[in-house]
Amino acid sequence: MIKLINLTKFYRGLRAVDRINLKIEKGVCFGFLGPNGAGKTTTIRMMAGVLKPTEGQIIINGHDLAKYPSAAKQCVGFIPDRPFMYEKLTGLEFLHFVAGLYGLDSTSMLNRRIGDLLGLFELKQREEELIESYSHGMKQRLIMCAALVHQPKVLIVDEPMVGLDPKGARLVKNIFREQAAEGTTIFMSTHSLEVAEEVCEEIAIIQEGRIIAHGTAGELREQAGMDGNLEDIFLRLTQER
Amino acid sequence: MQDLFLLMRPRLLGFKNQLIRSGSSGKRRVLIMGGLGLAFCGGMFVLSSRVLIYFQSVEMIGDLLAQQLLSMVLLTFFSMLIFSNIITALSNLYLSKDLELCHSIPVSVEELFISRSLYTFVDSSWMVIIFALPIFLAYGYVYEPDLGFYLSLIHMNVAMAIIASCIGILLTMVLVHIFPAQRTKDIVLLLSIFMVVALYLLFRFLRPERLVNPEAFFSVAQYVSALKVPDSPFLPTHWITETLWAHLNPVEGRPAESGIEILLIWATAASAVVINVWIAHFIYFDGFSKSQEAKKRRAGGKRLLDLMIMSVSKPFGKDLSAIISKDIRSFFRDNTQWSQLLLLAALIVVYLYNFSVLPLDKSPIRLDFLQNELAFLNMGLAGFVLSALCTRFVFTAVSAEGEAYWIIRSSPLKLRRYLWGKYIFFVVPILILAEVLIVATNYLLDVTLFMMILSSVTIGFMAFGIVALGIGFGAIYPKFNHENIGQVSTGFGGFLYMIISSLFIGLIVILEAGPVYMLFMSQVRGSVISPIEWLFIVLSFSAVVVIIGVAIFRPMKAGLKALQGYE
Repeated sequence: MIKLINLTKFYRGLRAVDRINLKIEKGVCFGFLGPNGAGKTTTIRMMAGVLKPTEGQIIINGHDLAKYPSAAKQCVGFIPDRPFMYEKLTGLEFLHFVAGLYGLDSTSMLNRRIGDLLGLFELKQREEELIESYSHGMKQRLIMCAALVHQPKVLIVDEPMVGLDPKGARLVKNIFREQAAEGTTIFMSTHSLEVAEEVCEEIAIIQEGRIIAHGTAGELREQAGMDGNLEDIFLRLTQER
Repeated sequence: MQDLFLLMRPRLLGFKNQLIRSGSSGKRRVLIMGGLGLAFCGGMFVLSSRVLIYFQSVEMIGDLLAQQLLSMVLLTFFSMLIFSNIITALSNLYLSKDLELCHSIPVSVEELFISRSLYTFVDSSWMVIIFALPIFLAYGYVYEPDLGFYLSLIHMNVAMAIIASCIGILLTMVLVHIFPAQRTKDIVLLLSIFMVVALYLLFRFLRPERLVNPEAFFSVAQYVSALKVPDSPFLPTHWITETLWAHLNPVEGRPAESGIEILLIWATAASAVVINVWIAHFIYFDGFSKSQEAKKRRAGGKRLLDLMIMSVSKPFGKDLSAIISKDIRSFFRDNTQWSQLLLLAALIVVYLYNFSVLPLDKSPIRLDFLQNELAFLNMGLAGFVLSALCTRFVFTAVSAEGEAYWIIRSSPLKLRRYLWGKYIFFVVPILILAEVLIVATNYLLDVTLFMMILSSVTIGFMAFGIVALGIGFGAIYPKFNHENIGQVSTGFGGFLYMIISSLFIGLIVILEAGPVYMLFMSQVRGSVISPIEWLFIVLSFSAVVVIIGVAIFRPMKAGLKALQGYE
């Protein structure tokens, strides 16, 4: 479902992402871990089509993102780490706006889907209020609604738990599991090793722009040559270099 | 005091880092802007000198005119400084993103207030002072005063800027304290815009052009009294005028009293600072705290907006309709945006009014010739009005996405479609406005049918080019992380757009001038146009078509490329 081939990004001479190769199958929840400044957000922004890679290819659902950006983006729902939105729209208007961008007809089916999502993310009561009055967590939940409104085949998520209260975090974890079970591929970067361990079937660790470990939690334990939780493994693998 | 320096440090370091680390493009920008600024100042100096030399040649009232002009200039700059300080203080004292951090650290409110007031003073005063300087230097050049003039000029203007700053900051603090917290920014900006519109209309409808024609007045005394600028011995501008004039015209001036005026202005400036800090102690933090409260929750005028969006976005596809409806909602829900339409309305009213009071019958030039010449020049003038308007609304269209631009970028909407969608959305209202301006003014001028058709068609095509230049340059120089969309149009890109679109308008008018003159004169003289003249006419109009084509497609292409590469 997702293929990254020799993906590379230079920033003013600095190699932020260095020849990443990954293949992620349909319905897999993939955790992308790494210390600060390792290249997680850069990789994710390239996959979402917001940044242009210096080299390499991104294939999403069979579409090369560079050659067929519209077709590839049609399959993707993107949740960035900071919920910048159009503050003068209401929550409901914003979701209709995003649906319009993805070419969805304003039918009763779409209205029902939007209503369901707002209900699921507990925003139904505030749907007619301007986004500028929302809290950070509410904005984060609204962004998630927007990413799901067109029923994407791939969900690209950057730090999903930032700003969410424990209830919201639980809700999001459940939704990701359900989405993956329904066949959506989820590519998620996170600092929360607990979330990665709980939700992700496959994990990659990136450091200084390179993938230094990749596999299931068990395979990572083998690579690190130690037992213990993911935090210990992460620290061992990232400190070794 | 140490804390005050610490609070100022980020700004100073930021400025230093920007200077040191700006790349070649940054340095080029500084050079271009500096060069243009110098050219503007030079132009102002030459113009002011010529006016003053002319005044000197007028018997009896020449010096009075020069003194009144000085008083008027000072009063204008003083008002501009107060207005500019209100706007800047709002941002520096209440809305800046770093204020949360500053208020959470252990420094006194007074020191924080003083540091922010200094920011406000510098931000709002430097440009006004620099642009005022050539006018004052022209006085120095024409009247050749002693060194005291220049010394007084510098320190008294600084004192005036401090007083204006204190008044602006005090007004902002009071407004923030009185109005409901969540509406502070909107209300202050709205009030400011109403004030500017009212002043603009008031000034225009006073018909200052009458003063150029002394014959319209019954006596010299009446004329002189009409010239009088609103003045009061309590105004700082009065003290500066008196002091400077004493140096400029020592025979009639009162140099002995200048010391009192200097004392008065500095005592006022010092008192204003003390009073401001004292008042800030009581109300500043309270106002800041209120401004942090939640913003408006309900969206107003929903039905009206829905209706408008339904009719406007119909011809576009689903994706572009979504963008257009988002743009319309955001525009009309942001008071700082729609209220600028009031400025636009005032501009148009005055534009049309100017044509209605033109004394064409008093001109020594043949009436039909003058009417058509004015109609021709009017095309250029209307073009400039449109390009000023587009700088504010069209050039900023891409940047208006703000930090939510990632939504557009990560969506399947193609950037080409996005840009052309914005273009079509803006070109229709601008085209209508252009035609209204031209047809209405031509009607007021009572021009020939040929001129009416020619100018309507030309301005129509020009509008296509001006809008494309706006969208294109806006995409080449986007600024998504702005605090206020108004700032985007005053940046380097906006400035460059104004210059290029002015050149475009000028070029079209120049290219059409020759052929139109030939056609008009052949009508007047009843002569036949020769084949060579026809060739010239055809070539000129063809060049106009080519230039308009380039102005439409070239910037849109460059804008698309820039936006595709934007990171």
